[in-house]
Amino acid sequence: MNAHQGMGRVTEDELHAYVDGQLDGNRRLAVERWLAEDPEAARRAEDYRAQATLLHEMFDTVLREPPSDRVQELSDRLKGRIAFNDNRPAWHARPLVRFAAAVMLVVAGAAGGWMGRGVDQQVVAPVAQQRQTLATFAQEATQAHRFYTSDERFQVELGADNQDELNGWLSKRMGRDVFGPDLGRVGYRLIGGRSLPTDLGAGAQYMYANDGNKRITLFVGAPQSGNQSNFSFTQNGDVATFYWVEGPLAYALAGRLSKEELLEIAKAVYQDVKAGPPRREAPAEQQQQQQPAQQQQQQQQDHPAGVQPISDTQKAKES
Amino acid sequence: MSKFGVDLEVHIASLRRYARALLRNSADAEDLVQEALTRAVARADSFQAGTNLRAWLFTILHNIHVNQVRSKAARPQEVDVDDVESKLVSPPRQEERVELREMMRAVDELPEEQRKVLLLVALEGLKYDEVADMLGVPIGTVMSRLSRAREAVRAKLANEGGVTLRRVK
Repeated sequence: MNAHQGMGRVTEDELHAYVDGQLDGNRRLAVERWLAEDPEAARRAEDYRAQATLLHEMFDTVLREPPSDRVQELSDRLKGRIAFNDNRPAWHARPLVRFAAAVMLVVAGAAGGWMGRGVDQQVVAPVAQQRQTLATFAQEATQAHRFYTSDERFQVELGADNQDELNGWLSKRMGRDVFGPDLGRVGYRLIGGRSLPTDLGAGAQYMYANDGNKRITLFVGAPQSGNQSNFSFTQNGDVATFYWVEGPLAYALAGRLSKEELLEIAKAVYQDVKAGPPRREAPAEQQQQQQPAQQQQQQQQDHPAGVQPISDTQKAKES
Repeated sequence: MSKFGVDLEVHIASLRRYARALLRNSADAEDLVQEALTRAVARADSFQAGTNLRAWLFTILHNIHVNQVRSKAARPQEVDVDDVESKLVSPPRQEERVELREMMRAVDELPEEQRKVLLLVALEGLKYDEVADMLGVPIGTVMSRLSRAREAVRAKLANEGGVTLRRVK
């Protein structure tokens, strides 16, 4: 257990805290440096994450089972007892939304921010708030990833057989043009998507799989203020997430992958989003081979009327 | 404030999952959650606004569970792995089923104090200090239980061909 001591003075406890997402940024870096140099420690971290994955696979099914009537009734009573007499119409009391809220919000310690934010709070400290909001958005994307990849029956609401239909449907739900980027170039194909309610309106989750049936999800939301932000990274248990804002939309890409693997995919998402909505006429195999520049050119030529590229007015601000 | 209701729903979903993982039987788990909520309603006045609602609820549930175990003087209930397995993801792929079964067995074989810490941290995402408060032990004890639990599970999975774990990509 002491093999790593002296290497940046990373402690045993910090390895666990790293895996559990309970380390701050500086110590996270120290641990990552250590893991890069110590394969045995890296294997342990990986195994601990795999254990968490298995636990979720075993027990997340409970989240989809409705509570007993008695538990529901008690839960409502408890809400009445300590809910500070909130008389506003409870959007979360609708059964479907309630279900989705449980899905979205079973986040370790996630308080405030993205979903629960009241309209009246939004004028305060926009920059700091956006940062916090995005962090919460990323956490929820992580949780939605965990949830919807835990059971193959619930992966997507609408398949990607007809991508125009999928994109059109999600755009309508969100009230903004969104599309599932083409990630063929990094080995992932779009398998479908779903709409998830948030306090600020609908969000969209696109799901992709590679040949090994490894799944990643891209969560798209509409933040209040669309200030550009660079890639940020967060790790919760076994799920890694990159998130950023581009144009009017916020993106969070989540997967059970290493930070480096996920970053490559995040870059592909970023580039494809910049390039604009995909063309449907060309077979997928051909599209995957196209260079981004060619893609962009082709899209400019025969761009479908009424569909704007998401970020045509925003300048990229990488690194 | 309407956020409160959402939080509560979420915490209760989390409580139900933890109870199921701890007891492995859906009726017992739901009973435990029910009892915890009954007590929470009765003690709602003692909950201080702005403090940690989730930790408060988990602590109540934990105390009830400890008392139940004590009063029944019962061994932890054992559930046939095959019963549990039928409730798992479907349709699971073959290698996942084996992995899940091995994981289930490895977790079952942990001493209860270690199993609780592993479930609270790795499944429910509680913070270490929340777990320490909830169990009434120092944080160092939480960390050592967590470490021992993870290493024990790891050794078990490795012995039983759990090398496939690493290939799940």
